[in-house]
Amino acid sequence: MSISRRKFLGWMGAASLTSAVGTSARAASNHEFKGYEDSMAVLHDITRCIGCRKCEGACNTVNDLPKPEKPFDDLTVLEEKRRTTAKAYTVVNQFGGQAPTFVKKQCNHCQEPACASACFVKAFTKTPEGAVVYNEKVCVGCRYCMIACPFEIPAYEYDEPFTPRIMKCTMCYPRITKGLLPGCVEACPTEALVFGKRQALLKVARQRIADYPDRYVDHIYGEKEMGGTNWLYLTSKPYGEVGMREDLGNTPAPKLTKGALGAVPMVVGLWPVLLTGIYAINKRKEKIAAEEQHAAVDEAVAQTNAEAEAKLAAAMEKAAQNQEAAVAREVKKALEEAAKAAAEAEAAKDEKGSDAPDGTSEDA
Amino acid sequence: MQGIGKMGIKKIYPFGMGILLCGVFVLAAVWTAAAAVPPAEALALGRADLIVIDGLKSFGPLERPPVPFYHDKHTDAMVKQNKDCSACHETVKDKLSRKFKRVQDNSKTAVMDVYHDQCIGCHKERKSANKAGGPVTCGECHIKDAMLRSTWQAITLDKSLHYRHVKANEKKCETCHHEFNPQTKALYYTKGDEGACLYCHKKKTEENRISNRLASHQACIACHRQLAAKDKDAGPAQCSGCHDPRQQALLEKIADPPRMERNQPDAVLVKTGLKGGNPEPVTNRMRPVPFDHRAHEGYNNSCRQCHHADLKSCATCHTVQGDEEGRQVKLAQAMHQNDARNSCVGCHKQQQAEPACAGCHSSIVKGRSLTSEAACKTCHMNIPVENPYPDESSAESKSMAADLLAARKPVVETVPVDQIPETVTIQSLTHDYEAVALPHRKIVLKLAAGVKDNRLAAYFHDAPTTLCQGCHHNSPATVKPPQCGSCHGRSSEALNLTRPGLMAAYHQQCIQCHDKMGLEKPVSRECTTCHAKRK
Repeated sequence: MSISRRKFLGWMGAASLTSAVGTSARAASNHEFKGYEDSMAVLHDITRCIGCRKCEGACNTVNDLPKPEKPFDDLTVLEEKRRTTAKAYTVVNQFGGQAPTFVKKQCNHCQEPACASACFVKAFTKTPEGAVVYNEKVCVGCRYCMIACPFEIPAYEYDEPFTPRIMKCTMCYPRITKGLLPGCVEACPTEALVFGKRQALLKVARQRIADYPDRYVDHIYGEKEMGGTNWLYLTSKPYGEVGMREDLGNTPAPKLTKGALGAVPMVVGLWPVLLTGIYAINKRKEKIAAEEQHAAVDEAVAQTNAEAEAKLAAAMEKAAQNQEAAVAREVKKALEEAAKAAAEAEAAKDEKGSDAPDGTSEDA
Repeated sequence: MQGIGKMGIKKIYPFGMGILLCGVFVLAAVWTAAAAVPPAEALALGRADLIVIDGLKSFGPLERPPVPFYHDKHTDAMVKQNKDCSACHETVKDKLSRKFKRVQDNSKTAVMDVYHDQCIGCHKERKSANKAGGPVTCGECHIKDAMLRSTWQAITLDKSLHYRHVKANEKKCETCHHEFNPQTKALYYTKGDEGACLYCHKKKTEENRISNRLASHQACIACHRQLAAKDKDAGPAQCSGCHDPRQQALLEKIADPPRMERNQPDAVLVKTGLKGGNPEPVTNRMRPVPFDHRAHEGYNNSCRQCHHADLKSCATCHTVQGDEEGRQVKLAQAMHQNDARNSCVGCHKQQQAEPACAGCHSSIVKGRSLTSEAACKTCHMNIPVENPYPDESSAESKSMAADLLAARKPVVETVPVDQIPETVTIQSLTHDYEAVALPHRKIVLKLAAGVKDNRLAAYFHDAPTTLCQGCHHNSPATVKPPQCGSCHGRSSEALNLTRPGLMAAYHQQCIQCHDKMGLEKPVSRECTTCHAKRK
């Protein structure tokens, strides 16, 4: 099917008009989710982390994860940059050579999680406690959450052929609901990890920056990043130098995709109507055109026929006239011949006395 | 930078083209090496004599990239040709113009012509005589995105260098120091009114005063050249002589130069500008602070460390209430501002960053020193005297300053060794590891050794037990402080977010102190370096 440029632009114009109406309707809403008020959080003070990997060990134990190849007191593991896997919800990475900085990595428990917004079966839930938890029972294994997460956290059990799950830190949800500390926080010997209410921890972090302005970068990572997270960070080196993304912005992930995803119902619901409408209008246009064309043709045909008939009639009349004339002539001729023959017979009767030439008979 | 550029190019072009380009680069590299232009290592180290010629900027945007110019290279070339500075610089009123072959920038074309005619002219001349010469085509001088490294570093006339000049000039201060009379437009000298060049000669040339840069180049180089012409011991006249860090390091240092002679006091009460006698209301006034001016001259490299704008007393501009002349910085701020380089407290705070001090001081909250009453009294000495507020210009004030300083005794003794517990075994936390035997006495003695000769510490650590408070903080200074566990609980708890649990308190205290003091131990961050694994 070929579409003319004009037609295509016409469709696009109609489509953008419809979506523009949709956008302004959303903009009028002032609803903004600022996180659950009493949600819990962890403050990770990077300046205090000594890279002992106690948190990794504790995480492994409390979550019943398989034991790794190298034990948790083997610090050579730190020499390589690692990410979270299906068998390790948290890893500690080392940055810099002489006086290294250690940074713990795990799910940041976004206030408005990208994973949850990407999941079309609602396998992720942001609980009022602050944890982002996963429900394996509804998960269909599409792994959109892994693509959506800006921190590259969710991991997948690729080696589980029948019941693969998404694996990630739960903020020890089962423990914190029982009033226990998350495993990693409890194990940290320097309190580089502190667990508490997010609002309180933000105050603690601000106080630390104010008390030791020379020690800290004046920024709490996670306070606003991606709309805020329930894992907060303090550092002495710029965040970019310790493997943390500084390009994320403060907009929560769902807000970024809301425009596009919000358009889905519109596309699904409205576009068929719109397109059908356009189609119907075009069909109707075509029909009218065809009808008009028919009429024109009919008229033309009729006209031509009439003309032809007239011509024929004229010809017939002429032919009739000719015929009549010919008949008359023949009749006349026959009459003349008959008259002549009668005259000759009269003359022959008279000849018997006179010899008269027969010139007229030759001429007829 | 260049490497990245090449990669970028390679990315854009198809693979074959990349190989071709690589070939070109290799060829170019071989060619450059063969051509033996300035040794690559010398350029990589950078030079101090790099001048960027962009004088046309004052006439509007540059049409061509500015020209990098190595001054010392040209000076050397002139010497070889038996020419001196006048080959390039004109003399006005016995002074060399800093501009090239002109005195003033008259018009764009005039300035441009000076460079083009003179530079290229000389270079061409050399070339035609078959001698080493400089570039002659546009692109050789106007190099786009020239990647050059300058090691230029400002030079400071510190105490040592100043004294060397005093000695060389036989105390004729007027050789350099002067003042300006705006009426007669002449320089004159008053004994006893000398100050640093920077007090008048600022960054930019102002009315009746040239910039510091112009002043120092005119005066210093002229004098050095005159001395050199007389075959006397002279200072450097080339860029690198003063501005190359490597050359600066070679300058002769006088270890303990005699005091400058500028009628400065030995001891003085820090002036407040307030009336003496028996002022009203007495109760609101802090006791005057005796200041050991003489000692502080020794601690600092230049008067400008404190006297940043002139050599008058601080209160002249920084009045008690604040004044426009002192940019509304009040006297109290000028003395106590934590983060200011020139204030008393600010400078003392900087000293606390020294490894010997930082072990304890880095964990002290910034600003804490100003909240303790004892800290105030260290300077604002509360000693009963007949008239605590003498008139500031009186002899009484002077003698009181000396008396107070004499009364201020440094604390040099430490807690007697037998009163320092030798080891402290931390029993309460054994779980995965055995109990740690803390070498307590060794730690105390190490801390004490670090500040043994530190006068600042000796005055401000006001008791032998002050040192104990490095670890035993937030509790009274005593030889029997409360145990750490009295305040720090067994585990971290969400209810007390600001106070670490006992295990974290130990780790934070030990590790931070070891880090800040730059100690070799522990050799690794393995837990077992400090803790024996429990069987």
